Amino acid sequence: MSSLETRPAPDRPLIQIEDLWHTYMVGTPFERVALRGLSLEVRSGEVVGIIGQTGSGKSTVLQYLNGLLRPTRGRVRVGEHDLGRRGADVQAVRQMVGVVFQDPEDQVFEPLVGDDVAYGPRQLGLPFEEIRARVRWAMDAVGLPFEEFKDRYTFTLSGGELRKAALAGVLALRPRVLVLDEPTSGLDPRSRAELWERIRDLRTRDGLTLVLVSHDMDEVARQSDRIYVLHDGAVVAEGTPREVFRESARLEALGLALPEVTRVCQGLRALGLPVPAGVLTVEEAGDILAALLEARP
Amino acid sequence: MNEFELLRNITIGQYLPTGSYLHRMDPRAKIVATALVVGAVTFTPSLVGNACLLAACLLIVRLGRIPLGYALRGLIPAIPLLVILAVMQLLFFGRNYDPASPIVFQWGWIVVTSAVVRLVVISAARFVELLFVTSVFTLTTRTTELTHGIESLLAPFRRLRVPAHELALVVAIAIRFVPTLALEGERLMKAQASRGGRFGGSRWQIVTRTRQLVPILVPLFTYALRRGEELIVAMEARAYTGGAGRTMYAVLPGAPRDWLAPAGALVFLVAMLRAPFPF
Repeated sequence: MSSLETRPAPDRPLIQIEDLWHTYMVGTPFERVALRGLSLEVRSGEVVGIIGQTGSGKSTVLQYLNGLLRPTRGRVRVGEHDLGRRGADVQAVRQMVGVVFQDPEDQVFEPLVGDDVAYGPRQLGLPFEEIRARVRWAMDAVGLPFEEFKDRYTFTLSGGELRKAALAGVLALRPRVLVLDEPTSGLDPRSRAELWERIRDLRTRDGLTLVLVSHDMDEVARQSDRIYVLHDGAVVAEGTPREVFRESARLEALGLALPEVTRVCQGLRALGLPVPAGVLTVEEAGDILAALLEARP
Repeated sequence: MNEFELLRNITIGQYLPTGSYLHRMDPRAKIVATALVVGAVTFTPSLVGNACLLAACLLIVRLGRIPLGYALRGLIPAIPLLVILAVMQLLFFGRNYDPASPIVFQWGWIVVTSAVVRLVVISAARFVELLFVTSVFTLTTRTTELTHGIESLLAPFRRLRVPAHELALVVAIAIRFVPTLALEGERLMKAQASRGGRFGGSRWQIVTRTRQLVPILVPLFTYALRRGEELIVAMEARAYTGGAGRTMYAVLPGAPRDWLAPAGALVFLVAMLRAPFPF
């Protein structure tokens, strides 16, 4: 599936962050400013990619998306909830925006897979049947068939399966927005490809809005409708993947690698061949190269 | 407004480089001095004595050029424990502790004598003093300095088959892991909250709060064990075999004036134990 084309978005963004500042360990000698006036928005139904080097503020922003951090300077609005307000309903925000942190398998604590996935819905105090239905849906959605996996011991799962179980634990809350921080880091290529496929399905089949934070530039480029490039706590570039990756020199100056295909095409351009900037997919590059070869005498 | 920053309130195990006299002091001297002050805290039985100790602690914090607010912050997580301890002592000691002391308050079976009140105040003060002293010690001492200091102090006992190097290592690892585990706990708390977990509520709802901790403590233990095993592998991969025949990169200088501090602490300890305080 290609989602490179921009699609019409509804008027009011689902999540809106304006001029957000954040300082860690305020009032201690270890104070560190992580966000400097960052603004971004997530519209309903779109896939937003966030890229940036370690320390650029990515993980800090994530924590604002579901109210783990509350703004003291700047504005954060999620749906109808203004998180800067003291009485904001944080639990409702956390149900609406599910955040899956890096290495989420660390958060699994129940012996049985089904019980662990049920932790969130149980905390919501839902009736048993509803919990069961949600767990079934979530496990099926990530590719761990409910009947087969619900009574398996969590420690017998493979790394990829455990990652999926953790993802199901967040999905069981039935969020509208799913935020994924490095969802495939540390997985083998096969589990990685499969997990990306499941994530794609969540968007196409279940209509989830996605926020992707990843070093896997190829996947971010392929999946996102829009990309934000973060550097030193602020947004330094924003646009469709094509627009963002066209400025290869600038991204490299910020210490970010281009998607592999883009890099190859950039190299060909540097050699003086007529290759357009900002090529993103293997298919696209294939067409261009085929045309090039045919044009040659 | 920040419910999840655990590390903010942990002052033990952090190092705060301010380059003060305490930072530059020979770690062995500092260990001895700290032990002596801890001794003074433990054995001073009077109110006036504890007031002196608190003053001494403030002086030590000053000497280490540590912001007082930061040193006090370590107290925040301990407040419920302190209060519970005080309440238990007030409720249950009754007349068992020093029966001769006059009764201050009586209601049903609850009897509070003035000796118990004194005890409560003194134990709270002791706790604060201990926290100050140990915090300042770790805030002014690098882990490597601490390890070398302990090893060097224990070296004479090696003849008695005391594993000096290994003990030093155990202490170093234990202290080093306090902030690491706090960070990991923070991460887990956020992860569980992101999937519907509820934490917090009032500081005093002890049962609820304890039950809420299961989804954090279970993975935290797993993490600690895994980290421990990784550490073992990392050490073995670098051919670590313990202390025998190991030389040191940094040799402890041990200037004579460094021993002024323990000498001072010793004088202080004796003064505390000997002084005829009226209360």
